[in-house]
Amino acid sequence: MKGVRAGSRSPIFCGARRMEQSNRFWRTVLLAAPVAVFTVFVIWPLLSSFHYSFTNWNGFNREFDYVGFSNYAKIVTDKLFLNAAINTVIWMVAAILLPTLLGLGLALLIDSRVPGGTMFKSIFYLPICLSAVVVGQIWVWIYQPDWGLLNTVIGLVSGEEFRYPWLAKPDTALGSVIIAWAWQQTGLSMVIYLAGLTSIPEDLIEVCEIEGATAWQRIRMLIIPLLTPATVVVIALSVINSLKGFDILYIMTGGGPFHSSDTLAMHMYNESFKKYLMGYGSAISVVLFLIALTIIRIYFRQLRRVDEIYG
Amino acid sequence: MKITKRRFLLAAAVLPISTLSIPGMASAEGDVTISHYFTGELGKAAIDSIAGKFAEETGYTMKDSPVGHEDFKTDILVRAAGQSLPDVFSYWAGARVQFVVDSNSLTPIDGMWEREGMDDVIAQALADSATMYNGNRYLVPAGYHYAGMFYNKKVMDDAGVTDFPSDWAGFLDLCENLKGMGIAPIALGSKNRWPAQFWFDYLILRTAGPDYRANLMNGTASYDDPEVMNAMAMWTDLINRGCFVPNANADSWTDASDRVARGEAAMTLMGTWITGYWNGNGMVPGEDYDFFEFPTITEGVPNAVVGPVDGWVVSANAENVAGAEAWLAYFISNTDAQVEWANVQGALSGNVNVDPSAYNSVMQKASAAVAAAEAFAFNYDLATPPPVAEVGLSMFAQFMDDPSDYEALLADTQESAMAAFSN
Repeated sequence: MKGVRAGSRSPIFCGARRMEQSNRFWRTVLLAAPVAVFTVFVIWPLLSSFHYSFTNWNGFNREFDYVGFSNYAKIVTDKLFLNAAINTVIWMVAAILLPTLLGLGLALLIDSRVPGGTMFKSIFYLPICLSAVVVGQIWVWIYQPDWGLLNTVIGLVSGEEFRYPWLAKPDTALGSVIIAWAWQQTGLSMVIYLAGLTSIPEDLIEVCEIEGATAWQRIRMLIIPLLTPATVVVIALSVINSLKGFDILYIMTGGGPFHSSDTLAMHMYNESFKKYLMGYGSAISVVLFLIALTIIRIYFRQLRRVDEIYG
Repeated sequence: MKITKRRFLLAAAVLPISTLSIPGMASAEGDVTISHYFTGELGKAAIDSIAGKFAEETGYTMKDSPVGHEDFKTDILVRAAGQSLPDVFSYWAGARVQFVVDSNSLTPIDGMWEREGMDDVIAQALADSATMYNGNRYLVPAGYHYAGMFYNKKVMDDAGVTDFPSDWAGFLDLCENLKGMGIAPIALGSKNRWPAQFWFDYLILRTAGPDYRANLMNGTASYDDPEVMNAMAMWTDLINRGCFVPNANADSWTDASDRVARGEAAMTLMGTWITGYWNGNGMVPGEDYDFFEFPTITEGVPNAVVGPVDGWVVSANAENVAGAEAWLAYFISNTDAQVEWANVQGALSGNVNVDPSAYNSVMQKASAAVAAAEAFAFNYDLATPPPVAEVGLSMFAQFMDDPSDYEALLADTQESAMAAFSN
């Protein structure tokens, strides 16, 4: 038998090294695709938006001038921007609160073993499986003034013909879209809360009952605090989804009537693609990005605190 | 070759990247890339039919990528921004083409114009108003439209209306007559804003005249001028009299057309494309519907008519300029293609060699109305620069919701329009 030369590696060691090199190679290859896609479709447009926000580019012309911070200065005096910013705040607050509260309420109801709970769970979850475009169109029909479901029901209940144009009136357009949005998002919150409820030990609830706590006291002082990790997830998803909430607004109102349901994303779209003010639209997109970044940073900070408490 | 898991994963990773390059691939020689907003069933079929005959006669193959009318405005801008405009695309003559010309995104077609003798093909008035920008020819009209008061014949017959008004007093009488019989006189679907513009256009043109209106469109006249105030006061009066179906902002133009077709309303101020829509729904021109011209308001003011011109333009980055120009020349010069196109779209042909008898009776009347007019004006959103048009269109929708404080609305519009003009 030949001896192993000094300094040489065993076949097992060489095989392991080759496998490690091979794995590293394939990890790099497989990571390259998503990194390339992310760079092309996220990083590059982001940097481009920053660049164009300092120009007067109209989208068509290959030539443009650099205008310094004038697009940002214009934001300060733009009444439509202020209107869109206020609507965005309303949209985000409602888009977070409504699905969270309704989802929690439904989860508690279904968890209390009401008859047909499983069926209701499926029904309430169904809208989340639909695209925002489909949901928007369904609710456009529901709000239709002449034959829509909502006016028909109100007419039947009141006994008088009712033809209110929910989406065509500035007072109700944004609220009507928010309701449609909440209808879709509530199912997701409900499912997350239901999962959270299963992790609460039964004996804890029984102890509360023995101690004489009312149902409301059990919910307020035991269940809701123990559902904090689920609430964090629900709010996180609500924040992220509400920031993306452009498509349903576009389908249902297009920001109208006369800008009454414009959000910052819709305002950015209108300025860029309808008025051909790409430079100004880019400045709005940068502001929107910074707002989103701030919200996400605050969220992660809060998430760390929750992690520290609940582990 | 054995497909291992690794090879499969590699292929899956590379595939999305490789497909990204497809839109940027160079077109084959003889191919002409084209994009347009004629996506209706009949319009698309007509384009395909004309493109097929064009290919047979010239050897050029049209590579088509149509986009829906409303989305087209965004799509073409995105393609321009990416410097990937098709060789030829449809666009609206007037301020919109002017905007694209000013952005150096189109190729002038003066050479083709001379070579193909377009002066002998295209109606002079149309050539003067729609094809020339900054001293060069850029557009060939595909067809044009005329906005008139389209009505349901049965409703008018039932109301005993035989003579249609030619002046404002007569028009108000007609509305009162219809209201008295329990019929809503006018349907307007301003959900997408633009259908309201025809009211503004005609009220300004019929009271202040085309010259003043042109000044308003180019920013040298003001939205809070007495001329505009007067026009808006007349519009307000019509609304306050209850002449319009309520909640105009809840209806699209097809909703309003359907109301007239069903007899819920008597008439609607709309472009001739409504004939294509109604014909497609089985209505018979001249039997089920007809139109009358917007009435004269102020005597002595030139009789101007309103409408859009759809055209074809060649992009500045066109790879096949010869093929694109051949398409433009063929589309307008070939009378068979023009007749097919006009009848499908409910449009009028810009080709002087098209026999008006090829149109249905309503379109023949529309053709005569345009021929008798002293001026042809582009509708509002094609007559003023796009950023200003956005301001005005929103104003019309706001006005339809609540016309009571139109003076403040016009003052606000003037402020916003000035800012838009300065962009």
